[in-house]
Amino acid sequence: MRIATSQYQAMMTQSLAVNQERVGYISQQMANGNRIQTPSDDPVDSVRLSRLNREEASVKQYRNNIAAIQIRLSKNEGSLQNMVNDMHSGRDLLVWASDGSNTPSDLNAMVVSLTSLRDSLLYSANAIDQEGRHIFSGTATDTAPIAYNATAPVGSRYTYAGNTNDQLVVVGNGITQVANQNVKGMEQLLNQLDQTINTLSASGVNANNPAVRTVLKAGLDGFDQAMDLVTGKIAVLGGQQNILKTLDANHENVSLSNQKAISDIGQLDYGAAAIELSGYQTALQASYKAYSKIGNLSLFAAL
Amino acid sequence: MSILNNALSGALASQLALSASSQNIANLQTKGYTRQSALLSAVAPAAGSFQAGNGVQVTDLMRFSDSYKTQQLWRSASDLGAHSQTQPYLTQLEQVMGDDSASLSSGIDGFFSALNAVAGVDPTSTPLRQQVVTAANLLGQRFNSLNNVFNAQLQSVRQQRSALIDSANSTIGSIASLNAQIANANASGTNSSSLVDARDQAIDSLASQMGLEVSDQPDGTRNVSLKTGQSLVLGGVAGKLSASGGAAQTFSLTFAGTSFDLDTTKAGGQLGGLSAYEQDTLLPLQQGVADMAQQIAAKVNTQLAAGYAMDGSTPGKPLFTYNPGSTSNMLQVASGFQTSDLAFSGDGTPGDTGNLQKLVDIKSQSITVTKIGTMLISDADTQLVGRLAVDSQQNKSALATTQTMRDQAQADWQSTSGVNQDEEAVHLVEYQNMYQANMKVMSVANALFDATLQMMG
Repeated sequence: MRIATSQYQAMMTQSLAVNQERVGYISQQMANGNRIQTPSDDPVDSVRLSRLNREEASVKQYRNNIAAIQIRLSKNEGSLQNMVNDMHSGRDLLVWASDGSNTPSDLNAMVVSLTSLRDSLLYSANAIDQEGRHIFSGTATDTAPIAYNATAPVGSRYTYAGNTNDQLVVVGNGITQVANQNVKGMEQLLNQLDQTINTLSASGVNANNPAVRTVLKAGLDGFDQAMDLVTGKIAVLGGQQNILKTLDANHENVSLSNQKAISDIGQLDYGAAAIELSGYQTALQASYKAYSKIGNLSLFAAL
Repeated sequence: MSILNNALSGALASQLALSASSQNIANLQTKGYTRQSALLSAVAPAAGSFQAGNGVQVTDLMRFSDSYKTQQLWRSASDLGAHSQTQPYLTQLEQVMGDDSASLSSGIDGFFSALNAVAGVDPTSTPLRQQVVTAANLLGQRFNSLNNVFNAQLQSVRQQRSALIDSANSTIGSIASLNAQIANANASGTNSSSLVDARDQAIDSLASQMGLEVSDQPDGTRNVSLKTGQSLVLGGVAGKLSASGGAAQTFSLTFAGTSFDLDTTKAGGQLGGLSAYEQDTLLPLQQGVADMAQQIAAKVNTQLAAGYAMDGSTPGKPLFTYNPGSTSNMLQVASGFQTSDLAFSGDGTPGDTGNLQKLVDIKSQSITVTKIGTMLISDADTQLVGRLAVDSQQNKSALATTQTMRDQAQADWQSTSGVNQDEEAVHLVEYQNMYQANMKVMSVANALFDATLQMMG
């Protein structure tokens, strides 16, 4: 085939352009470590990558939710444990009060301790978080769970004003977990305690009086029931924490395999890229050499 | 005396041949220059005379051109033009839509993450509710900025087409006037080679703008028409293209007082490529994104209306406002929307998450997107980008193929019409030798003449 002089030039510029474009592209790949620079480099894999990233985002959210719930649950557990501790002290006091050798003034003196225990229990039951929400009133978080009505007769002044609805949080695909608690039942103990305090604070109260004994017995029963109730809740919380841990571990495994897939699909194979790069560099150098040789070739130089 | 005449004709012919070579060398780097060469032929002796002949004459200054190769050149220019102009647009869109941190997908992820975070801590937590409103705002901004990119591209495609039409009209005009000059030159026997080069170059540039059919006429002119048959140039008469209409451009061609409407998506070349990109990729994609925005807004707003705001009694207000025609405010957070307006409670109690669960669930609901079909909200953007990626990949590979074909066509054309300086060097030496030889013949003739004269004297 006949070759025109300008064809050398055209061939050279084309070959330089192609090689330089490839060198530029591979350098860019190497700079950011991504095999796919724009989705059109590999449409199918870029769709797979995008879907993996979406799933990874969901899993991350589930794990964040689990972490947030775990903190809430342990805080709840702490408050409930405080209540149990208070109940232990209260129960001990009542056991002591039931001793028939106590003088009326002994019994009157116990009223101070019992009153502060009652108020402490009420405070714990009506606990609020940093934003002022009540943590033990079910989903009625704007209402204090235990309401106090001073005008009602002794023994029915405390009422439960919250509800027992569950607040559900998504912790997995189609999996929800209850994140709140309620203290329905505590109002009975508080009423009982109120009754007991009322009885024990009477002057000349006699621990051997059958009526007093009945009240003390009822108070003890109230503590037992409430302790059963609250320790039951603590046990449930412990169980929930375990379930959440297992779920979190599952999510972690899924996330790990997602990340592995993302890096398998999306990461650049540096070895292969380096070989390719040096191939194009060699081609470029060869083109430069060829041009410097061919460019000097001219019959005019010999004339 | 015929020796002297023969020598003179030889000297003149070699001069002309040398001048052709010098013209070729001078135009070594001229784009579109077609090399020329003197076509020599022996002059037969006069009838009845017993002579070797009456020397040499240059019968023609030959143009080395192959009309098949020229046609190939034009065809490849149209094919290349159809793909080359759209690739920058496709690449820009891919970069905007495919960017992991700026994509619609991550905006949607962000919005639903914010909803989920509220569910994880407490549905009445003000900072977390604020985060939902902020994420909704960000989501809206992502839709809007993407919509802005679409609109900027649409505008740019339309401006580019208007510019193409203007430039094509001036090219069409110069083809017609060159045709007229070529016809005149041919009639008067002037060498029209450089005019033909200029006209063919003009046709080549027009061919990159739109697909052409070119037919040769006996008088040396070329008629140019669109692939769809409408004439652009007939001899010395030029047609005129025009674009009209505002946002949706319409195109027409006026030739000799008659006007035709043009479907530019079938025009080929840059004009056809841009129109096809606008109709087949850009507008459907913009519609798809608008569909997403509209349906996400509708679903979220409907679900919010089914719940109760923080006060426990007001039904939820709409969070999003979808403005169908707006260029930069397609999806917005409703003005005056407050964090307490978010209706997460399903039964009115503030700690309830019934409605919030349903809001979170929207992410896995289906929406219907133009030209793609029904898909999950979380997957819609991925599929749109996937489709764009396939379009772009197709265009890239078509671009590479047509570029190769164009390079090949140019090489073919050069191989016939291009100047080779070594070849011209040989011609220079050879014709110089021929000239000197003829001079020598003259001096021989002169010597013979002198000898004859001396014999007389």
